[in-house]
Formats: sequence, C-alpha cells, structure tokens
Amino acid sequence: MTEEREHPIDDLAAYSLGSLEAPEARHVEHHVATCTACGSLLRQYQSVVGTLPLGLDPVGPPPEAWPAIRRNVQGRRYATNERIKVLAGWRRVMWPAMSALAGLLLIWNVVLQVELTRRPPGPEVEALARRPGRLVILTGTGTPEASGRLLVAIDGHHGHLAVAGLSPLPPHRVYQLWFIRPGQAPLSGGSFGVDAHGRAWASITVPVSLDETREIEITEEPSPGTVAPTGKPLLAAKAWR
Amino acid sequence: MRTWADDPKGPADIDLLHQVQLGDESGLEGLYARYGGLIFTLALRIVGDPELAREVLQDTFLRCWDRSDTYDAARGRVAGWIMSIARHRAIDLLRSRPHQARLREQEELTGAVSAAIPSGTTESVTMRQTVASALRGLPMSQRQVIELAYYGGLTQTEIASELGVPLGTVKSRTREALERLRTVLWPVIEQPQEAPEGRD
Repeated sequence: MTEEREHPIDDLAAYSLGSLEAPEARHVEHHVATCTACGSLLRQYQSVVGTLPLGLDPVGPPPEAWPAIRRNVQGRRYATNERIKVLAGWRRVMWPAMSALAGLLLIWNVVLQVELTRRPPGPEVEALARRPGRLVILTGTGTPEASGRLLVAIDGHHGHLAVAGLSPLPPHRVYQLWFIRPGQAPLSGGSFGVDAHGRAWASITVPVSLDETREIEITEEPSPGTVAPTGKPLLAAKAWR
Repeated sequence: MRTWADDPKGPADIDLLHQVQLGDESGLEGLYARYGGLIFTLALRIVGDPELAREVLQDTFLRCWDRSDTYDAARGRVAGWIMSIARHRAIDLLRSRPHQARLREQEELTGAVSAAIPSGTTESVTMRQTVASALRGLPMSQRQVIELAYYGGLTQTEIASELGVPLGTVKSRTREALERLRTVLWPVIEQPQEAPEGRD
C-alpha cells in the first residue's frame, strides 16, 4: 500500500474546501479521527481556507443590513420570552393537571373492573349461539341455580362450553363433562374449574356425535378427572337442536 | 490568544460570542462590526447578486444568534465558524439556481465589485494584503481550481468536468495550491498577538 493510499493527502486539501463528494468526505473524516498528522494538516488547511475571503476586493455591506438583523433578533427575543412565559405558566399548572388526570384514570379503572366483574358471560354465549352448529342447553339438576350452554360447531367435533352458577371447588376437585350413549360407557368431554363467581368458559373436543348421544351431564369429580362419572349430575341436557 | 481577525482594541471574538450566548445583542453587533463586511464580500463573490448577498449576510448573523451554542472551539475559531456558516448559506443559494447561469453571473461580476469598505485594523489590512499576494502568487491553473471549489461550490468531479481535465489533475492542483498558500499564510495565521491570556 502506498503512502498516498494510507494518508489521503490530496483529499485533505479538497475536503478543507468542501469540494469532496460525500463518500470521499466520510473517508477523510474517518481517517483524521485516528491520524494525528492528517488531523493537524487538515486544521492548517482549514485555517488557510478561512482566510481566502480576505483576498477579495472588499465591499461594504448595505447600511440597512444591520438594522434589519437587529429588528429580527429583537423579534426573536420577544417570541422566546413569550414562549418562556407560556412554558412557565404550563409548569405551574402541570403537576395539578397531571395529578387530576392520574386520579381520573384510577377512578375509571376501578369502575371498569367493577363493571367487568358484574357482567355475565351472556353476550359471548349469544354470539356463539348465532354461529352455525348445535346448541345444547344444560339445566341445573343437582344445583338448580346452575345453567350451561354447549355449542357444537358444524363439524360436530369442536365446541365451547359456558357454565354459570356452579360452586367454586377446592384444588383437588374438578367438574367434568360427560357424553352418555345408550348401552355404552360414558365418554368424557373434558374437565374444568370455575372462577370465584362460579363461571367457566372452555373450549372442548366433542368425543362422539350428538346423534349417538342420549344425555350430556356435568359432574363433580376428583382432579384431574375420572374415566367414568362418580358424582351425581349437577347439570344435564337430554335434548338439543 | 488573539488572531488576525481580532481587533486589539476590542473584546476577543470568543468574548463577543459568549455575550451572544447570553442573549446580549451587543455581542452580535460586535461580531457584525468585525465580520459583516467580509461576509458580505464573500457572499457577493459567491452568489453574484447584492440583494442575495444581503440575504446571506442577514441569515448568517441570525443563525449565529439562534445557534451560538453549537460553536465548538475545538473545531476552529469563531471567525472560521461564522465564515463557514456564510459560505454554506451562499452556496446553498447558488446551487438553487441553474449551473450555467451562476457561472455567467460570476464572470460578469469580476471587476464589478470594488465598492469601498472601512479599512479595518492594521493587522487585518496586513492580513488582507498577505492573502491577496499569496493568491496572486498561485499559477492560474491552481487558483482556478481553488476559486471553483471555494466560491463556486463545485465538487472536484464537477471541476474536472468544467475544466475538461482528469479528476486526478484537479486533486493534485488543489493540493499544490493549498500547500503553497499554507507555506505563506500559516506562519502569519498562527503568529501570536499581544493580548490577555485565554482569549480566542
């Protein structure tokens, strides 16, 4: 590699005149960042270039130039002062305003949480009920206040179960969904728990065609579920559409 | 340290700039008194139109006012900073016009700019004479590339195209020209003046 390639001497001169293309200029900047000799030479070139206007025949500036600059500066200073005043005013009210906003957000959040806990899952069930497929309405047998909806998709294999009114269970107990077929062993549709309000929402796989099913039941079983129902039916359905 | 640009009887450039940074208009007025003429001359040489040159002059000092905090002493002196602002603004204006038209305007301008300017301090007059003499001492081919680059705002490639010479020739002419100028001017630029410590 030559000395010229190592130190971009020609480009230093052109750089100090601002006449390099952008990539070459970047190369010079990278080089002088680490090369003391070139950095020093560049500063000398730049100082020399800074004196070039002195070689021109001097021309006096128009007399109206300075008054125009001064008027503009005064205008800017006025605008700056106005901005400072506005900023100061804003700072005075900023913390009370931010506190009020934070308080409103907190109240709104609490109201929203209360509203969510009060809402039954009805709308979701209604929305699902409008989907094509079959709807099974489970009614409370062992637990009269309980109710449930089993929505089976048109393919007959997938569905959603929504229940309400069941009691929350201890950790070692679950609720289990059963499909009872005539003359055959019941088939499990899965187990689930309910929330503190006695509600549950579960996606299930239907193990058998509803046409071959005589009854659908929900029982309480030991966790994680059993192969056959051992508890009494809490919810049950014998007909569906 | 004072430089050729400072008036020995007045505050140093850096002190005037500090006044500007504090929002003191008199600092800007001091810098204008010192460099207004030079900037107008430079701008007129570049843009070739007195009205546009006045626009450059005003923009330059308003930018000094607005952006005085961007001055970095490590990257050069106050005078160089202000001249750089002026030159960039003038070249921006120049580039906004058709290339051929701007060259014609500059040719027409040659010899037309000779209005009076205050003579300035002894140091600055001496410096003017030294710079003018150094430029006159350059071969025409070298002075041409310097002027096209500095006043014309052309890149090295554009200069090569303009002059019909290889790019390498333009680069070597530029380097030789600046080397000659550096040999003559650098000792004068760096010559310390008598002044209080800590001044620009």
